[in-house]
Amino acid sequence: MSDLETEKRPSVFERKDVKQTVFFWVIFTAIIGYAAAELQARSMGVAASETMSTTIYMMRVFTWVAAPIAGLVAAMGMTTLIAKIHYGDTPPEEADHQIRSSAKLSITWLVVSSVLCLFAVVWGSVVLQKDNAALLDPTAMNVNVTGQQWAWNFDYVDNGTVRSDVLYLPVNKPVVFHITSKDVIHGFWIVQMGIKVDANPGYTTETSATPNRIGIYDLRCAELCGLYHAFMQTKVHVVSQADYDAWIKSQGGQA
Amino acid sequence: MNKRLLGALGTVIIGAGVIAGIGTYVASAKNDSRVLLATPAGTINTPQGNLPHYTLDMSSYPDSMAGSHGTSGGPHPDWVTYGPVTNFQVPAHSVITVTIKQFDSGARITNDFFASVHGTIDGTAVINGKAVKSVDPEAVGHTFTLHGLSDAKSQLFVSVPLPSLPEAAVPSSGYSKTPNTITFSFISGDAGKYVWNCEYPCGDGTVARFGGPMSTQGYMSGNFDVVKA
Repeated sequence: MSDLETEKRPSVFERKDVKQTVFFWVIFTAIIGYAAAELQARSMGVAASETMSTTIYMMRVFTWVAAPIAGLVAAMGMTTLIAKIHYGDTPPEEADHQIRSSAKLSITWLVVSSVLCLFAVVWGSVVLQKDNAALLDPTAMNVNVTGQQWAWNFDYVDNGTVRSDVLYLPVNKPVVFHITSKDVIHGFWIVQMGIKVDANPGYTTETSATPNRIGIYDLRCAELCGLYHAFMQTKVHVVSQADYDAWIKSQGGQA
Repeated sequence: MNKRLLGALGTVIIGAGVIAGIGTYVASAKNDSRVLLATPAGTINTPQGNLPHYTLDMSSYPDSMAGSHGTSGGPHPDWVTYGPVTNFQVPAHSVITVTIKQFDSGARITNDFFASVHGTIDGTAVINGKAVKSVDPEAVGHTFTLHGLSDAKSQLFVSVPLPSLPEAAVPSSGYSKTPNTITFSFISGDAGKYVWNCEYPCGDGTVARFGGPMSTQGYMSGNFDVVKA
């Protein structure tokens, strides 16, 4: 036995590099968690539906759950950067080689990763199911959405033969979108409502939302669809029921 | 150490230079730089008051032997094209009257929405002297569809169908002496960058006939800039 093995090893948490790593871990977790959560929430903009509010909240939670992992990687990187540089062909004597074959560490990492993934899957599934609840709502209004290079058009099938290039919706009324494409795959994305569904040629895909905030929002194509994909945008006007009825009548439809 | 630093710096500079070179080449090659400016035509009364009036004249051809590709037709002489150019510039907050001579045949349009007139003053277009709100979706040659980004500016969306000529009226060489003439007017709104394209699937056999001239700048699409008057 060598002298090194006969010496009593200090507890792992008493080691200077581990203490440093834990310190950096806490700091980086806080910074990454706050910065990433805030950046995402702010870049997602105003929520104009319950779906979007839930999505933003979910992104915040997922970001904070993932932050310790990113924080640990950053902390280990920082500890490595500021550690004393060891020159030579062999590891330093004080290096702990036990970690490479530690069953305890492997199991801990496996369990933590699994729990985090399960958490994301279960929560995400529940939210997804809740988002599509309006599909079964008999009071929901229906809008046919057609994507074509490089414009959208909408048919208000419950209001006669009204068609438009901008989308008008009454506030607080569930709406079911029946989405298709005339050429290639497009992405029907109402940014502030958290709705993003592919428009597929030859198929009709359904999704739903309940706009809950009056305003003007953005509708964009979210699938790279050709030359003027960037211009495949239009406005979504969420208005009061009275204003919606007036608009429908102005377009020759029945309120 | 200095050698390493210089090496790293040199790599970054060369990399940036290569990317800048590719970007410059792509930017210069992306489009025909020729622009047709709207022609002043006095003023005109509209529901929004008396506004400056400008005109734009263009044509849609069944091949590329006219327009901006030259009499040889350029790299794709059999592709349909608009002419004389495909980039336009008009002043903001003005009435723009567009006249298009349509020399091509056609068939059923895939989306009836684009067989109707949208976004013009009073919602009509004048086709061969007759004001209409839509055309027969079974006989559309092309469309002129103008649209922009969903930004803070007032939205400009104009779409006018161009009825097709009967097949028998399209000669095998040269162009019909009696094209359809389509005239429409719209108010240009705020200054901004827009694009226009054809919504009738008149491209080659790819991408649901939206390939070829439909997906290549300089044929059935282009820029439409609205500039401060």
